[in-house]
Amino acid sequence: MSAMQEDSRPTQTAPGVHPRRWWSYQPQSDRESGDAIVSNFLLHWFPAKVTKSSLDWGYSFWLGAASAALYLLLILSGFPLLFLYIPSVERAYASVKDIEYVVAFGSWIRSVHRFAAHLMVAAVFLHLVRVFLTGAYKNGVGQGQRREWNWILGVGMLLLTLFLSFTGYLLPWDQLAFWAVTVGTNIASSVPLVGPTIRELLIGGRTIDQPTLIRFYALHVFVLPALLSLLFVYHVWRIRKDGGLARADRELLLERKAEQPAAPSKTYTLLGIARGTAPTVRTDSLEAPDRAVNAVPDLTRRAAIVVLGTIALVSILSALIRSPLEEAANPLITPNPAKAPWYFLWLQEIVTDTTFRIGSLTVNGAFIGGVLLPGLLIVVLTVWPWLDKSPGAAAGTWFPANRKTQNLVFIGIAIVIIILTLIGVFLRGPYWQFYWPWEAWPSIPTRI
Amino acid sequence: MKAGLGAGIAGLAAQGAASLRSLVPNVSYDAPTTVKLGPPLDFPDGLKFLPDERLFVFREGKTFYAVSAVCTHLGCTVRAEALPRTETATVEGKALRLTHRFLCPCHGSKYSGDGTNVSGPAPRPLAWYPLSVAPDDGQLVVDLAVEVGRDFRLVIA
Repeated sequence: MSAMQEDSRPTQTAPGVHPRRWWSYQPQSDRESGDAIVSNFLLHWFPAKVTKSSLDWGYSFWLGAASAALYLLLILSGFPLLFLYIPSVERAYASVKDIEYVVAFGSWIRSVHRFAAHLMVAAVFLHLVRVFLTGAYKNGVGQGQRREWNWILGVGMLLLTLFLSFTGYLLPWDQLAFWAVTVGTNIASSVPLVGPTIRELLIGGRTIDQPTLIRFYALHVFVLPALLSLLFVYHVWRIRKDGGLARADRELLLERKAEQPAAPSKTYTLLGIARGTAPTVRTDSLEAPDRAVNAVPDLTRRAAIVVLGTIALVSILSALIRSPLEEAANPLITPNPAKAPWYFLWLQEIVTDTTFRIGSLTVNGAFIGGVLLPGLLIVVLTVWPWLDKSPGAAAGTWFPANRKTQNLVFIGIAIVIIILTLIGVFLRGPYWQFYWPWEAWPSIPTRI
Repeated sequence: MKAGLGAGIAGLAAQGAASLRSLVPNVSYDAPTTVKLGPPLDFPDGLKFLPDERLFVFREGKTFYAVSAVCTHLGCTVRAEALPRTETATVEGKALRLTHRFLCPCHGSKYSGDGTNVSGPAPRPLAWYPLSVAPDDGQLVVDLAVEVGRDFRLVIA
């Protein structure tokens, strides 16, 4: 009896044990808030404290969180489609048509998947733009920071997002799909020496057929999402290892100028204590109540707003607008004009304009515009953190004076890409000729 | 211990290599490259488009020649557009009546009636393929595996 009484001591005092059900989402003390991070599985990847400035809507626009929310939505809406879609050249188109017209809520689910994919391309691109313009790939004051590595992971994730979109819009096996595979794999084929082999490997033979569809299907539903999920986890983990956003470092840096330099007094990892290589953050700045807040609920509330807001936006958009489906794939007829989805139209413009001739030497625009230029862009993006020599204080803020030139060049390139995209979307008509949006396209017979 | 570790790593490497190699096709189930196109006299005078072979077959009386419809830029199928009036050009030393020009819907390449790339991103002229008459049933036959010069003509008796 006395033993039982001892067991039923008030349990609230035991570490990590809380009588209220939603204690971790509505903490009533700093202690509960810290416990939420340590003991709640869903929240354990957040920091315990976060600087207020890192949470600013106007600094990050929460584009990374929005991208993650869209990726989550893509996985969720992908599940029913995975059960309904048939990856066979004879039946793929009919199964997508069934999803669109026969399956209960099929049209909505497909639209959610498509809108989320389009918005994810846009959100990931804008996230990259934000990180570049704020110099957020630069290391600050913490030890062991490797933000440039996280930037490379991000570039990889942008590429995976684009490959996922490409493999995704092939699956309905409609005209858009068939001619996108034709053009896309011929771009790969334009690489000197190894090109034709790469194309054969991509399409599983020399003609676009069942082996092609099943390859792109396997990439779309397993290989690429698996890679992207791994990179996503790594990306978020690195943010923690790098001591949060570049903006938090900036605050410390500015403060250091004002005060006496102090030795790092707090580390947030055990390994950091053991090795001394983990980012160390000075206690006074993170725990100063005027600058830092508890991650629960200040960070979690904002994250919930972004994630739920994104989901609501996509749900409404896709209830209002249905997804298009072109005619069934027909290897005999190329649509006129044959346009890629909007996010690849700048590439379609570039491959149109980059064939050049010097004397008798002709280099196909497919190689220059489809392989060399995008490849160069990716290489430059990848190595940029090492080329950027601006001081650490230029990181974590919009349009700093000492990063003006590189920001202007970057904005210039982004604007060129956007203009080429707009030309492709609005100004190209039959035979890829220029037409103003208010000009009628000439009527051209659909067959030769 | 070391032998076990080595065997494990070797096994893993071999499995990885085998998995990747299995994705390289050993057999390609391509359509045959030598195709019978039908009796020559069934072809209309002028141009006929054969979608399955992606081929334009031209006929002028008893003279035949064939031009590929595959754009040399990125492989879309070009479309033929009739010229307002027929022109005659000398192509590789032989007179050729040009009745059409070819336009690509994907990136706007333009070819003249003999397949020469005129404007747009196309790096090369359209391919010409040899025609022959099948010895067994007299059908027109195209060989899509070899290209011929633009002076090629098949004249049937």
